[in-house]
Amino acid sequence: MRMKKVLALVLALVIGCSSALLGCTGSSKTKVIVGVDNGFPPMGFLNDQNELVGFDIDVAKVVFEKLGMEVEFLAIDWNAKEQELNTKKVDCLWNGYTITDERKEKVNFSDPYMKNAQVVVVKKDSGYTSLSDLAGKKLALQSGSSAADALEEAADFKASLGGINEFGDNMKAFMDLEAGMSDAVLLDQVVADYYIKSNNKDWIVLDEKLALEEYGVGFRKDDPLRDKVNDTLKELAADGTLAKISTEWFGADVTTIGK
Amino acid sequence: MGIDYASLLRSMLEASGTTLAIFGLTLLFGLPLGLLAAAGRMSRFKPLRWFVTAYLQIMRGTPLMLQLFFFCYGPYYLFRISGGSRFTAAIVAFVLNYAAYFSEIYRAGIESIPVGQYEAAGALGFTRRQTFFRIILPQVIKRILPPMGNEFMTLVKDTSLARVIAIVELFTIAEKTSSNYFSTVPLLIAGVFYFVMNAAVGKCFAYAEKKLDYYR
Repeated sequence: MRMKKVLALVLALVIGCSSALLGCTGSSKTKVIVGVDNGFPPMGFLNDQNELVGFDIDVAKVVFEKLGMEVEFLAIDWNAKEQELNTKKVDCLWNGYTITDERKEKVNFSDPYMKNAQVVVVKKDSGYTSLSDLAGKKLALQSGSSAADALEEAADFKASLGGINEFGDNMKAFMDLEAGMSDAVLLDQVVADYYIKSNNKDWIVLDEKLALEEYGVGFRKDDPLRDKVNDTLKELAADGTLAKISTEWFGADVTTIGK
Repeated sequence: MGIDYASLLRSMLEASGTTLAIFGLTLLFGLPLGLLAAAGRMSRFKPLRWFVTAYLQIMRGTPLMLQLFFFCYGPYYLFRISGGSRFTAAIVAFVLNYAAYFSEIYRAGIESIPVGQYEAAGALGFTRRQTFFRIILPQVIKRILPPMGNEFMTLVKDTSLARVIAIVELFTIAEKTSSNYFSTVPLLIAGVFYFVMNAAVGKCFAYAEKKLDYYR
């Protein structure tokens, strides 16, 4: 009698489990994993409720919904982003990802969807107004970012600096500036503007810019997903959806795709 | 464009200097501090014992990464002191953290010595200080070598955490090169560097154990 009960229980468990598994594989939606840097406001970041939000996140959600695909966002170490992509841990990189010639060799980019520049943020009371004022000073930046690439390009400016402090993300670089351990932070203009505005900091962005660049979505070479996403982005630009999302985050339409 | 391995190795060797400096300074200050903490932990003076116990709990109960941030940015956010040295902050964090672990290892060693030895030393006219430094400590050192070896090796690898407060050490270089060239090879090379350093640590401990293996 007891044996029978146990058997029945085991059977019930097995049936339950397998049907759960079947239910999982039964859904026909293909899943896309988007690699993001969750500390990159306003493109993609964790808000106070610990939810992933941002301009890129909103756009990606709309795009994959239109393509009938299920989307999952995965916060990755931005230093290892291309490895994550090439080892298929993620299917695309979509988070203020700057298009560079070096990256183009390894990554298949969408059309650029937004313009950006690398700018220098300093404390207002520091009195720095130009890049030359930073001679001998310490500059903080996110390692492996396009700010780091832009600094490599600007060799004279780099040589004039008194030191470079590299961090895992921009927030820590800002923390270093605030604590007076670095004199300036080099980062993406969109992030700088958003951060200063949303945190009410007494900081300014220098007028001199280091690099003019563009953001794109990165895919593996030969991945047909690239064209699907690119076409959808163009459709969204045409029907005004992109402009709408852009206004929500930036107060204006700053997108460039399909124009 | 490929990786220039000659210059990568050169910058990794340079950065190993920082790694070894953190390692060496942590031991230099951490080993004596750990012994002091062990003494405090076993003290009959209750407030001191509580204080040391709290210190041990905090340092062992929170991530070393957090402690690095705390000692780097704490002075500014708590007292508005700015412009401190990040290397000093790193050493303070490493010393306080590792001394906590060392302290418990010392204590284990000291408490493993039978009370009879203290009584015998007392009967032979040794003072308490003499008993500790001449009779107890040499045996303690011999007994705690294996767990200390563990800590030393962990320390070699933990030095890579210093990069969170922008200290350029071995792993920083590896990670940066890896990201610039989209290649995992620099990370593997860093692994070899750490392995070689720890092989040396292991050898030193094996030698010390053999040296202290008297009475056998």
